[in-house]
Amino acid sequence: MPFTAKSGKFNASIKPVTIGSGDKAATIGGENVLPFYSFDAEIANAPKVGIEVTDFGMEHEPECLKKYYDGCTTAADMVKKAVAFEGVDFISFRMEGGDPNGANKSTEDLMATLGEVIEAAGDMPLVICGSKNAERDAELLQKAAELAQGKNAIILAAREENYKTVGAAAGLAYNQIVGAESSVDINLAKQLNVLLTQLGVNASNVVMNVGSAAAGYGYEYVASTMQRIKAAALSQNDAQLQMPIITPVASEAWATKEASASEEDVPGWGDVESRGIDMEVETAAADLACGSNAVILKHPVSVATVSKLIKELV
Amino acid sequence: MALKGLDIFKLSPKKNCKECGSPTCMAFSMKVAQGAADINACPYFSEDAKAQLSEATAPPMKTVKVGVGENEYTLGGETVLERHEKTFVSKTRYAAAVCNCMDEATIDAKLAKIPQVDYERIGERMIVEMVYVNYAADGATDYVELVKKAAAVGRTLILGCDDVEVAKAALAVCKDAKPVLNGANAANYAEMNAVATEAGVVLGVTGSNLSEIYDTVKALEGLGNKNLVIDTTGATIKETFANTVQVRKAAIKDNDRTFGYPSIVNLAKLAKDDQHLQAALASIFTIKYGSIVVMSELTYSEALPLYGLRQNIFTDPQKPMRVEPGIYPINGADENSICLTTVDFALTYFLVSGELERSGVPVNLIISDAGGLSVLTAWAAGKLSSSTIEKFWKEADIEGKIKNRKLIIPGKVAVLKGEIEAKLPGWEIIIAPAEAVQLVKFLKDMNA
Amino acid sequence: MATLFDVVFSGNDTVFGLTEGAIDAAIKEHGEDKAIAFPNTAYSLPCYYAVTGTKVGNLGELKAALGVVKTLMTREKRLNDVFMSGVATALCAEFIEALKYIDGAAPYAEPCYGHLADAIIRELGVPLVTGDIPGVAVIIGAAPTAQEGVDLVKSYQAQGILVTLVGGIIDQCAELGYKTGANVRVIPLGADITAVIHVVSVAVRAALIFGNVAPGDAAALMEYTFKRVPAFVNAFAPLDPVIVACGAGAIALGFPVVTNDVDTLAAVHANVPKSLIGQADVSKFNATSLEARDIKIKITNIDIPVAFASAFEGEIIRRGDMQVEFDGSRVDCFELVMTKDASEIEDHKIEVIGPDIDEMPEGSKQSIAYIVEVAGKSMQSDFEPVFERKFHSYLNCVEGMMHTGQRDMIRIRVSKDTFNAGFRAKHIGEVLYAKVKSEFAAVVDKCQVKIITDAAQCTELRHNLATPMFDKRDERLLTLTDEGVDVYYSCIMCQAFSPSHVCVVTPERLGLCGAVSWLDAKATNELDPEGPCQVITKEKVIDERIGEYEDVNDAVRKFSQGALEDVSLYSIIEKPMTSCGCFECICGIEPLSNGVCIANREYAGMTPIGMTFPELASMTGGGVQTPGFMGHGKHFIASKKFMKAEGGVGRIVWMPKDLKEQVADRLNATAKDLYGIENFCDMIADETIAEDPETLLAYLEEKGHPALTMEPMM
Repeated sequence: MPFTAKSGKFNASIKPVTIGSGDKAATIGGENVLPFYSFDAEIANAPKVGIEVTDFGMEHEPECLKKYYDGCTTAADMVKKAVAFEGVDFISFRMEGGDPNGANKSTEDLMATLGEVIEAAGDMPLVICGSKNAERDAELLQKAAELAQGKNAIILAAREENYKTVGAAAGLAYNQIVGAESSVDINLAKQLNVLLTQLGVNASNVVMNVGSAAAGYGYEYVASTMQRIKAAALSQNDAQLQMPIITPVASEAWATKEASASEEDVPGWGDVESRGIDMEVETAAADLACGSNAVILKHPVSVATVSKLIKELV
Repeated sequence: MALKGLDIFKLSPKKNCKECGSPTCMAFSMKVAQGAADINACPYFSEDAKAQLSEATAPPMKTVKVGVGENEYTLGGETVLERHEKTFVSKTRYAAAVCNCMDEATIDAKLAKIPQVDYERIGERMIVEMVYVNYAADGATDYVELVKKAAAVGRTLILGCDDVEVAKAALAVCKDAKPVLNGANAANYAEMNAVATEAGVVLGVTGSNLSEIYDTVKALEGLGNKNLVIDTTGATIKETFANTVQVRKAAIKDNDRTFGYPSIVNLAKLAKDDQHLQAALASIFTIKYGSIVVMSELTYSEALPLYGLRQNIFTDPQKPMRVEPGIYPINGADENSICLTTVDFALTYFLVSGELERSGVPVNLIISDAGGLSVLTAWAAGKLSSSTIEKFWKEADIEGKIKNRKLIIPGKVAVLKGEIEAKLPGWEIIIAPAEAVQLVKFLKDMNA
Repeated sequence: MATLFDVVFSGNDTVFGLTEGAIDAAIKEHGEDKAIAFPNTAYSLPCYYAVTGTKVGNLGELKAALGVVKTLMTREKRLNDVFMSGVATALCAEFIEALKYIDGAAPYAEPCYGHLADAIIRELGVPLVTGDIPGVAVIIGAAPTAQEGVDLVKSYQAQGILVTLVGGIIDQCAELGYKTGANVRVIPLGADITAVIHVVSVAVRAALIFGNVAPGDAAALMEYTFKRVPAFVNAFAPLDPVIVACGAGAIALGFPVVTNDVDTLAAVHANVPKSLIGQADVSKFNATSLEARDIKIKITNIDIPVAFASAFEGEIIRRGDMQVEFDGSRVDCFELVMTKDASEIEDHKIEVIGPDIDEMPEGSKQSIAYIVEVAGKSMQSDFEPVFERKFHSYLNCVEGMMHTGQRDMIRIRVSKDTFNAGFRAKHIGEVLYAKVKSEFAAVVDKCQVKIITDAAQCTELRHNLATPMFDKRDERLLTLTDEGVDVYYSCIMCQAFSPSHVCVVTPERLGLCGAVSWLDAKATNELDPEGPCQVITKEKVIDERIGEYEDVNDAVRKFSQGALEDVSLYSIIEKPMTSCGCFECICGIEPLSNGVCIANREYAGMTPIGMTFPELASMTGGGVQTPGFMGHGKHFIASKKFMKAEGGVGRIVWMPKDLKEQVADRLNATAKDLYGIENFCDMIADETIAEDPETLLAYLEEKGHPALTMEPMM
């Protein structure tokens, strides 16, 4: 007696969102099945992988990245190289230096760097991330959305504290895609989407960052939040949760002790580069399995690995 | 649909005889409904009632035990597809693979690496729990000798062997440690069944596709063997993922008990030369239904994130993970370093300790018992108050261990400042910012 | 005598004539094919484009457009004709202004801006959408004196309002050397009245860019400008017909007009409430305009001489450090929120009645009463206690101030340091005003505070005002029943832990955490409409007995993402409400006694059910329905709706002693009401009496507990 599986295809689907334009434009979302359930129905668009560069250029990057970015110092230098790395679908530029509790760089400086990055990225789709400080991001991302006019970039992120400014600038004034960031709670994610829609942002121009964590660091909340969101979007046809999910992995993964502790400090643990890559790919793989439609990574080997993983599974 | 406790109670003898170990029939019925007790523990349920209930209360997925002693592991027994519905009960177990097709030196090197991964994370010992010993017909090394060598590592074995005679010989040297014999297929299941049953070990079922596996499982069940695992590894990664998900989904969601067995996923076979890809896949199969995940090797690099992930995924969604209360010196803090206190909710601990480490400032992080709740929840529930802190200070003899008398308390419970000052005389109480991410600047400013 | 119709129509005709003449003259000079456009915009002549969907490219097309404008100029004496003529006037103004830009001319010179580029609109649009620019003032003409004009501009500027100037006011600013420019958000447009179109153009393009309004969809355009562009017009006397016609256009877009030319208004019998407002006193233009346009100014800082932060919340002021103490346990004190009519309140008025803190002896005990009076279109008296409960935390956040208690049992201490820093009684008012206005902006439009330190008045007001208010509220709480309200509320605050759990909060059944009453849920919903508490209607009854409603089931299904199908409000056996992890208590069936046992979280021992609280919790929690078991709040125990379907509180056979003592008074009262039983709690066993079912049953039989004779539960 042959085994016949019941189909898990849903009548509802995730909204497809296209980032960038032209040949290299990347579309995420659109699927009507759970992550990688290609046996239920074809996956409309494979998840995408982005590579992260910050305004500090090589300055704050781990030692192990140097051989891949030989001769680079600025963010734009790195982007020029990164666009050619295997598996890169988009560039993610993070304005880490904008954090008022950190380097607190001026908006002019950051916009100048962003301008160079936009130039260097060419026709590669862009994600522009803020400093993680909501107040500062309101200003930075508004300017960034203006500077990147015509790029159809994801502006990451509008949060509860600043969604009006970021949402209005990115989603209304300058026709970018609004990244809506909430912290690991399905209801907060939904609430932010509702608020953005009420502001006038087109729901088809929104992607969500529903929160991230490195594997082992409270990851259960990330997993359950993503899984519940996908379930609500697909089985309950909840339109306010049908936006694709983008998850920044690099900043979480490389901040862990597992990825960064030197071989001298923890002699038994072995090669630090390998540890960083594994932390990054294992976290990214978990994100994808739970429902992320795009992940942002840092190490070129991670990018290539996760890209290969996606090709194998879709 | 699982039966409600009340339905079971209605059929119970209502004697409150306590013979089952529960104080009342009601308590027993509730446990049976939860799957926490076996209905047969009650001697007084009528056969009728039992028959009526056994079908309804039988778990959709069998629970299988492998290994012995401290190497005994429970596989399967899951009742849900996603962890937020109800706790996943049996953790994914990881195996490193060796094969008789490898040369002696490679085998020795691989086996020597296995015990190297051994550490503790939030109260749990992390090791490579199993060794997958693969049999290749044209292998150069003697399989039984290899099994002996692998057994000497002291971990539970999985014998990947579809040759009945070889399997028999291998089991002869290791069956007491209750390995898994992963080798039954459509062609050999009857003989393999006899070998496994005689040795008293769990039998793994393989096949070229799901239908073949399905039929083989049915046939084995027909022979009375329900001590099975299903090797869902297919020809490609995509097929393997499909198999693994389909099997689990059929069992849990569609109540097809033929597929109600734990799974083995062999990544060493699928992504032989790409260790990082194997790591990524291990992560996916930890979330999606791998009961045993086999990898070419498992060093700290793969293990650290993977075991952390597993610890996260296999937690009770209603019981937050906790860390042990105590003093955690950070950045080389000693008795003269400043103190900072927060709750024992694991997520809070990780966030706070991470930020403290980033600050570079030596701090004694003091974790008190707050019921594993987050700061505000604990405060609201009365599990974080000036009294709980005072109590913990006494129990843990903080004042005897630390000379510094400055204590930073979470910004969200600034309201406790006055009370804590009153209960801990001599201490200067400092209010931290409301969010952990602001700690780095806060500590740096304070030190400046 | 001219009516408003006559004035508007004549103004409109005048402008139309001028426009027609200007276009004809331009055609004569340049020919029909001469290109015409505003610089730096992708929207052609933005107002005409937005209203009609047609782009005008040359003078010939402009002439044709004027024909379209003419069709708007109907002359029935209806309000709509007035509005359409206003729109027509505005479009004519746009044409006239456009003609000024022919051949790339630069018709405007410093300080005037004339036409504003798209880039400026995108930049200004963001703060407009976010409310960082709370409004747009359009000031037309010259104020009675230059000083009054500049003062008005300054008052708007201080509130973050974008100010645009047309006509004489521009000269008045220049005369007094008042700085203008886009960077200070005071934008002189031009001397001619037609320059007003450049601000209309901003509003219109905002609708196209930020509102996704399709060009040509005039209805959507007007809805957007009405709802989303908080503009208003201040027109100084004298009003001529052209200005009045332009004003009609503004009103059509939803922008009220405030003028000091009350004589003209009276003469034409203009009566367009809330839209055309006479205000003779120019110093009140600001308040009148804001109220008419419903603009709320965000409060960003609290004007007190010491710090305000949550870090001070737990500060304790010891006797020796104390400057003065207000002690409600010794003298008459109270705190009170009262809802008033908007006309009775002057926003931000803070009144101190009685001696100030510096007139009180150091270390003395004093009386204080503060009454926070609020008004707002969405304000309800049910919110008063919700605000009041927050006062504790507000006042504690003041550095060097300690507040405990509530209502008329408050105690406040002010430290010497804080007093020496200049803190006085009125600062209490500043704190309360700022916090109430900012945190409850959704419902509070206006707020004023009275601080009474006069002992006699405190006594008088406490007895005659405060106490009756508190009594009334308590009575309202007591009489608030499930039947007496139209809606219930969902609460999903704890879904982070219990994904599928939804609390249905009713007047008689508070959230199972014990912290969310129906009034709390209602206020949460009003203040945060997208938040965790949503309205649930209760119109479609399925089963009155167990309290099952179709609407409630729909809501539960929606908020649990489909995990829950149906719930009853009053039964623990049939479709009981789910439980998260944060319930205060759990009740569960004890079959032998035909009743239920209740265990509270603090109780560590065994219950006669055979399970401890943690065991019960593990079976009941997680947002699943567990018939026979249910989590609930302590307060619910004495509710008449407690297990109503199974017979009510008479089913309670066992509770931990501590819990019993906490609920005894109210539970006894309920049991007396329902069954006429006195001292019902004496019949309920506790851990000192029984921890197993047999002993329990013996006790219940001895006491004649009502559960024993009720219908079998199963």
